[in-house]
Amino acid sequence: MAMMAYDERRILEMLHEDDISRRRAFEAIVNNFSEQLYWQIRHMVLSHDDANDILQNTFIKAWINLDSFMGYSRISTWLYRIAVNETLTFLNRQKANVPLETDNEGELSLADQLESDPYFDGDQTERQLQEAIATLPDKQRMVFNMKYFNEMKYEEISEVLGTSVGALKASFHIAVKKIEEYFNKID
Amino acid sequence: MEKERLYKIDELEPRRPFTVPEGYFENLTQNIMSVLPEQESIYSTTIKVTPWMRIRPYLYAAAAFAGIFFCIKAAVGINSRNSSANIAQETTIYSDEYIDSFLETAMIDDCTLYYTLVDVN
Repeated sequence: MAMMAYDERRILEMLHEDDISRRRAFEAIVNNFSEQLYWQIRHMVLSHDDANDILQNTFIKAWINLDSFMGYSRISTWLYRIAVNETLTFLNRQKANVPLETDNEGELSLADQLESDPYFDGDQTERQLQEAIATLPDKQRMVFNMKYFNEMKYEEISEVLGTSVGALKASFHIAVKKIEEYFNKID
Repeated sequence: MEKERLYKIDELEPRRPFTVPEGYFENLTQNIMSVLPEQESIYSTTIKVTPWMRIRPYLYAAAAFAGIFFCIKAAVGINSRNSSANIAQETTIYSDEYIDSFLETAMIDDCTLYYTLVDVN
């Protein structure tokens, strides 16, 4: 069966119909949003395998909780919120599992990780940029990635993170300053 | 000067330095759909809501209110009709002319009239 075109209004109707329509509608949602969600997650966790796992969990959670989605927000906003929560949960779990003695070598291990990652094709500056971004607090990093790499509007980010546009602008500005300071320090 | 310009990140072209395995995005939708658990839709197990089912509670409420209204109206209407009829009848029987004529021929003084009207024993 051919993939249906993405029509949010029609998809919302189909989600309230029989199981076959529901599955078809969800397939259209996955097809429409999976790639952009993947990149959002990938920029946060860096590893392709981890990003793929989190993406799958995001859609499984959305599928299981489909009945709780009442259509008050856009589907993209709802999915981004789930993805953000899944990503933050993953990062917190990852931090909790890191042995204490390797804490001071965090930057080195990230550099090593990117160096050996077959799915990282950045040059030295891009690797350093990833290291600089990794020094930011998780939420600030998320704001920076959404704005800088995914080119999301502040209004969209505001809906997803539940933070005011003013606070997001300030957060992005501080993130940029920190990254530039990081570069100036290592130079 | 060159160094300062180089590290203004908002002047750099944002580029994703990441790649994915070959064919990853082409198969992504199918891969995700294949891991979704079976789901029992609450909508498929309930009766489909028809327009009649939506308006039915409002119609029942309206009918109940209409019933109460007509009951009250009927009760109040009977009483008020009776009292209006009595007043009209009394007004017709005891006209001013009749009362004046009665008083002139009744041979009663003012004091007796007063006690008659206020019904004082």
